[in-house]
Amino acid sequence: MSAPAAIPLGTLLAPRVLATRNAFRRRPLRAWALAFLTGAFWVGSFLLFAHTLRFFQTITALGPVLTQRLLVMLFVSFFAILVISNVVTALTTYYLSPDVRFLLAAPVTRRRIHVARFIETLGASSWMVLLFGFPVFLAYGTVFHAGPLYYGAVIATLIPFLIIPAALGVMLTTVLVLAFPARRMRDVLVVASVALVAVGYLALRLARPERLASPSELAGFAAFLAAFEAPASPYLPTTWAANVLLPFLGAKTAEPLFHFALLASTAAVLAIGCTAFVERVFLTAWSCAQEGREGPGRERRLGHWLGRIASPMPHTTALLFVKDATIFFRDASQWSQLLLLLALVVVYVYNFSALPIDDGSPLAGTLREIVAFANLGLAAFVTASVAVRFVFPAISLEGRSWWALRTAPIPLASIWWGKFWLGFLPLAVLGELLIVVTGRLLSVAPGLTAVFMATLLLVVAAIVSLGLAFGAAYPRVDTQNAAQIATGFGGLIYMVTCLGLITAVIALEAWPVSRIFWSRFASQPINGGETAAIAISFSAVTALTMTAWALGRRSALKSLKHLHV
Amino acid sequence: MIQCIALRKQYGELVAVHDLDVEIEPGEVFGFLGPNGAGKTTTIRMMVGLLEPSGGQVLLGGHDLATKPEAAKALLGYVPDQPFLYDKLTAKEFLRFIGGLYRVDRQDIADRSVDLLEEFGLVDRAEELIETFSHGMKQRLALAAALIHRPRILILDEPMVGMDPQGALALRQLLGGLSASGVTIFLSTHSLGVAEELCDRIGILDHGRMVAQGTLAELRLRASEFPELSGSEDSLESVFLSLTGTEGRRA
Repeated sequence: MSAPAAIPLGTLLAPRVLATRNAFRRRPLRAWALAFLTGAFWVGSFLLFAHTLRFFQTITALGPVLTQRLLVMLFVSFFAILVISNVVTALTTYYLSPDVRFLLAAPVTRRRIHVARFIETLGASSWMVLLFGFPVFLAYGTVFHAGPLYYGAVIATLIPFLIIPAALGVMLTTVLVLAFPARRMRDVLVVASVALVAVGYLALRLARPERLASPSELAGFAAFLAAFEAPASPYLPTTWAANVLLPFLGAKTAEPLFHFALLASTAAVLAIGCTAFVERVFLTAWSCAQEGREGPGRERRLGHWLGRIASPMPHTTALLFVKDATIFFRDASQWSQLLLLLALVVVYVYNFSALPIDDGSPLAGTLREIVAFANLGLAAFVTASVAVRFVFPAISLEGRSWWALRTAPIPLASIWWGKFWLGFLPLAVLGELLIVVTGRLLSVAPGLTAVFMATLLLVVAAIVSLGLAFGAAYPRVDTQNAAQIATGFGGLIYMVTCLGLITAVIALEAWPVSRIFWSRFASQPINGGETAAIAISFSAVTALTMTAWALGRRSALKSLKHLHV
Repeated sequence: MIQCIALRKQYGELVAVHDLDVEIEPGEVFGFLGPNGAGKTTTIRMMVGLLEPSGGQVLLGGHDLATKPEAAKALLGYVPDQPFLYDKLTAKEFLRFIGGLYRVDRQDIADRSVDLLEEFGLVDRAEELIETFSHGMKQRLALAAALIHRPRILILDEPMVGMDPQGALALRQLLGGLSASGVTIFLSTHSLGVAEELCDRIGILDHGRMVAQGTLAELRLRASEFPELSGSEDSLESVFLSLTGTEGRRA
């Protein structure tokens, strides 16, 4: 009997391709929005890089060195991101994706499965680098007036340059899966990748890249780059990739063909080695990946600890708190978001501490209070950004287990209150802390800080209520990943609604707050009519936020009543 | 104990359940049969409060599910067809949570959990995360959760699916015992053998309509009205095929 014909690769890749196509077809608006954002990002990145490269050209002695080092640095960064991204992606595509079992049961050779999954991993891991790299390479080509050969060389270089980290990532993942339980591995990788994003964000923010727009700061960057020892070892693919492109830019004399041969042959050897290795151990590694039993001790301790915290709460709220908090701390995709939150708060407080408004003059004092008022809006915005990650997904995360709550003898209102307090308490603490800490940094008068704190409390209540309303109206029960839930259409319009609410609150409080400022700055006492107007403004803020809260609650309860999972 | 009065569910033009009338006495085991897509799960979802009916009423222990949902649900234990549970909780934590929702005393939850986990063969996995459980184990845990508050009514949607023969046998024995102690059981199943063995009465749903309900003897009598379809066999399978017209459709 002859062996069956090999399944075409197109067949194996079709589910992913078709799913992506269908997602875009079903949501054309989203596709256009993405295209627009990508275009804007490309234009922005292109202009920034072109500006930087042109500046380098003006430094006659150091120009070529700087150009070369920047390119090597970019390739090193791309390579590091690619290796990590491939490791994370390969864990899912090779070992955790539920469709692998169908492939293993089907008459498909392991080599075929590997090749299909390798392409999928490569694509999923590399598109971000391609997206970011496109304007960078274009900027290099434009500034150095490169010919068509340069653009051909970019494409030829990127192919092996992307294959190398993919092969390394897949092999590394396979070794890790063979050595550790996959579920634990996934948690570690999820946390590592979120931590990486948080650290990257912190580094980017604290480095203040906007300074590069000013010539003096750009000169500082050039000095830094000149002093920076970029890892340019002749044995690294990043050096080879840079050495392929630099001669076409006239920035360095090198042997582009020789370096391309190094790059391509390394990619080929690694791809073949990866295929041979994975083909040999795939079934064993996949079997290992299906095991993931947890030790019993930790679970018991966590439940006990949370139960003690929840003991003063009302019965249903305490039950929901313990359940949701237990799930939160056991699900790496949820608690790792706290790292991003921490980075956000650090950057926020840092930005205020770095404000150049403290020259001791009376005007500086008022300026500080104006900034503090703007800070109310910013703190509310930060709270809304956090709410979209933690409150908005609260309903979706009940997911297909919703039946357990819905068939229990507890009113929907109790479930709502449970979720509300769980969102409101931590967010209120966060928001108030931001107001108090930044208020102290800006030396704002205690009375005004109290006004801002009271306003923020009302805004947070409304934001949480709206989060539950939009979360219930746009549930995504197909995923257990909170970060993914927040990126949907519902999350977007929730953020837009929050922005509208915050803007309205700021607009309503702008006049009374400015009047209080002026009464202090210009010693103009507030008369009776103005006092009444100020009271009306603050009452309007209370009415607006409480209306948003009540509407959100009503809408959430209505959606929950009709939520069929 | 369970009453469905003119229960109806409509999705636009499509009527999934047509004015269903069912009355089940305390301690009775009612088997709910029907081909795929007949509307069994939709009916059950309306009976447990997961789906709002387009019309009609559901009374559990005399409490209207629409107007007194908490009182009605307090009597109820429900096991869905797909046992989606909280993956990141352990079996014991899940039982504690569900027991809490039904306001069972903490000590009672602890004692009941041990008994139920023992009964369903999960006691040595009590402290493990549910995500590590097989489908059958999740099904057994969902059953244990449905029983934690000693319900007077048990509604089960395809409880045998995914269970091993030992588990299925234990469940049949358990349902027999519960029924004997006065628990009313509404059981949706594809297993005609189970229905034949356990059920006092059987209802057959087809295209959202209750085409027949009664004891097995009554159903046989009803099926005999279609001799060209039922043939000489008098098993429940033959009766089912006759009443749902499956034989006719195949022919």
